[in-house]
Amino acid sequence: MDDDRITIDVTDGAAIPRRKDAGLFSAWWIAFLGALLTLVSLLVFEPDPYLKILKFLPDGIVVTFQVTFASIGFALLLGLLTGIGRISKNRIVNAVASTYVEVVRGIPLLVQLFYIYYAMGRFVKVPDIVAAVIAMSFCYGAYMGEVFRAGIESIHKGQTEAARSLGFNPFQTMVHVILPQAWRTILPPVGNEFIALLKDTSLVSILAVADLLRRGREFASETFTYFETYTIIALVYLIITLILSKLVSKMEEKINYYA
Amino acid sequence: MKKVVLCLLTVLMLSSSAWAKKIVIAQDATWPPMEFMNENKEIVGFDSDYMKAAAKEAGYEVELRNVAWDGIFAGLDAGQYDAVCSSVTITDERKKAMDFSEPYFKVRQALVVPKESAAKTLEDMKGKTIGGQIGTTGYFVTKKVEGVNAKSYDEIGLAMEDLFNGRIDGVVCDDPVAAQYALQKAEYAAKLKIAAVLDTGDEYYGVAVKKGNKEVLDLINKGIAEVQSKGLDKEMRAKWMGQ
Amino acid sequence: MPDSDPIIRIENVSKHFGALKALNNVSLSIESGEKVVIIGPSGSGKSTLLRTINRLEEVDAGTIIVDGWDIRNAGNNINKIRMEVGMVFQSFNLFPHKTVLRNLTLAPTKLKGESRAEAESNAMRLLDKVGIRDKADVYPAKLSGGQQQRVAIARALAMSPKIMLFDEPTSALDPEMIGEVLDVMVKMAREGMTMVVVTHEMGFAREVADRVVFMDHGEILEVGTPAHFFEDPQHPRTKKFLSQIL
Ligand SMILES: Nc1ncnc2c1ncn2[C@@H]1O[C@H](COP(=O)(O)OP(=O)(O)OP(=O)(O)O)[C@@H](O)[C@H]1O
Ligand SMILES: [Mg+2]
Repeated sequence: MDDDRITIDVTDGAAIPRRKDAGLFSAWWIAFLGALLTLVSLLVFEPDPYLKILKFLPDGIVVTFQVTFASIGFALLLGLLTGIGRISKNRIVNAVASTYVEVVRGIPLLVQLFYIYYAMGRFVKVPDIVAAVIAMSFCYGAYMGEVFRAGIESIHKGQTEAARSLGFNPFQTMVHVILPQAWRTILPPVGNEFIALLKDTSLVSILAVADLLRRGREFASETFTYFETYTIIALVYLIITLILSKLVSKMEEKINYYA
Repeated sequence: MKKVVLCLLTVLMLSSSAWAKKIVIAQDATWPPMEFMNENKEIVGFDSDYMKAAAKEAGYEVELRNVAWDGIFAGLDAGQYDAVCSSVTITDERKKAMDFSEPYFKVRQALVVPKESAAKTLEDMKGKTIGGQIGTTGYFVTKKVEGVNAKSYDEIGLAMEDLFNGRIDGVVCDDPVAAQYALQKAEYAAKLKIAAVLDTGDEYYGVAVKKGNKEVLDLINKGIAEVQSKGLDKEMRAKWMGQ
Repeated sequence: MPDSDPIIRIENVSKHFGALKALNNVSLSIESGEKVVIIGPSGSGKSTLLRTINRLEEVDAGTIIVDGWDIRNAGNNINKIRMEVGMVFQSFNLFPHKTVLRNLTLAPTKLKGESRAEAESNAMRLLDKVGIRDKADVYPAKLSGGQQQRVAIARALAMSPKIMLFDEPTSALDPEMIGEVLDVMVKMAREGMTMVVVTHEMGFAREVADRVVFMDHGEILEVGTPAHFFEDPQHPRTKKFLSQIL
């Protein structure tokens, strides 16, 4: 109806290519093909050490994805609750949600990771991956909360009123009317956050979680091939995030069907 | 008048550093009692004292620099400092990448476990998770044991904390360090013990320099020889390890 | 039906927006089947009064009884009461992510447990009634304003309400589309629906209203039949208002 789509940029995710910006679109291809070509030629022409390095990494990549997907799942849930809490008229709910966002945004992710992992470790026993996922979701939940809040607020008040006047309760209104529309506004920044989160999972390697980065570091520290190992790690991260940013932009195109 | 004094002082300082060669030594100060940070934010410990004594004996200056373990050899290779003296075990693998001084200290690997554990060897830890510091010999020996899940940490202290919190089942590291954590720190000592000094063989610490850096290596070797012939290392051992 | 209870009873209702008194001790009763048109200058509180009836606007004081339910009593389920009260907005407020048909069937299927088929056949009947049966499968963005408002009316009717509230339903429309919406409303009035309509369409008021209510500054200043209103208004401000818009 009204086409005042709001774009929200919250953190550094990745540049998600859209059809409109041709520059970014070709930048994607240059980066992607460049990264792929570099990787393949390194593997082909210097299998020692590059192929060895790559062979060392797969279980780390799996862990990176596990942490990313689990964290994004919980962060979305937490973000939804936080976003709704932030616009709630209930004072207590609003205060809890807002305080959570303030606190999380004021503490560096790295410190949160340490804190949740080691400080909480004294009280609750959770495995390292779980601790990593809790910390990442906790942090990103706050950012997602802001994304959801902005997304929900971008939907005209009349939509809520129309739904409520038909007899939908606040929850049904959210599920059937607001979120299906807010999703359009929310998806781009969520995609962005998703990619940012994937990159930030490299921080969990300080928790001794054997992710992509830690696997690489283990290899390098044993073979002293620092340059070569970090080259491969950087390329692998780059290729993964490029693919994801492409997927996100494809998804965005799909979701715009009814405009 | 003041200015003149200042100028003189500056000249004096410059000239003194000009004739006494200064060697910058990297240490990962997370490895008590060998090298760690004291309350005054100074790097102290057995290795630190050893390097200072060696410098004094051989007539050169040292500057100790705190560098994270993971990447400490990369920094050496990149020329960010002259040497690494940080409980570095001389291994064949490492010798390919850098040059080592004469050995200056002998250690073995020790396994730290919770008090109630019955494990005596690494074999007893099958199916369990053992932590170690990334890129250390302790981590390498653990990784070689079939059926043990080796977990690498940035710092040995973090591995000990995880062991203390029950997230992992054991930690392998150099025996002086194991003793420091499992016996000296009251909180840990109440819960942890050294299960065994492992029969993975003696290891010798050496000071690492960039491959081919003979000038620095000779100076350090000279210092080490002096320290040993005067028996200074025994004093340091008593001071830092109580033995 | 003077012997039955009024279907809407508003008694001594007041409402503030901060320091602004949007409704000042307003009382109004509406009988079942009655058509009431509310007029008045901008900012006089017409929308606010209308929106208190289905509690889109919470009031500060007073009593509002709808179909026997005290809607200010927290013990009464406001969502149930709202199903009885359809509302049509100035800005249509159709659900842009649903097709026209789905706009009509969403509430009946989710809230009344109607089967999809049942809801759809009912929806098609209503679309027929408002004259846009052929647009059932398009998204609202593809419709003209008049068409959208007719869909909005049909959407409200799909819940089979006892009361319909209209808040300036034609004010956002291009002049040539006003007629098609008013026609639908007139038809609805003939079928006996209880209607409360805020509008500037005096022709509609004259033709359909049982009573006309004039508001200014949050108060009801005059209530009467259209004949009374348009031929013999009493209050000076009513006169002034009518002289301005007629
Ligand atoms: N949510 C709100 N917050 C603050 N003030 C409000 C709000 N809604 C309405 N008002 C004020 O209350 C008064 C009555 O508003 P209302 O919308 O009921 O007027 P109206 O008669 O419907 O006017 P119009 O013909 O312009 O629609 C106005 O002064 C308006 O500015
Ligand atoms: Mg109004």
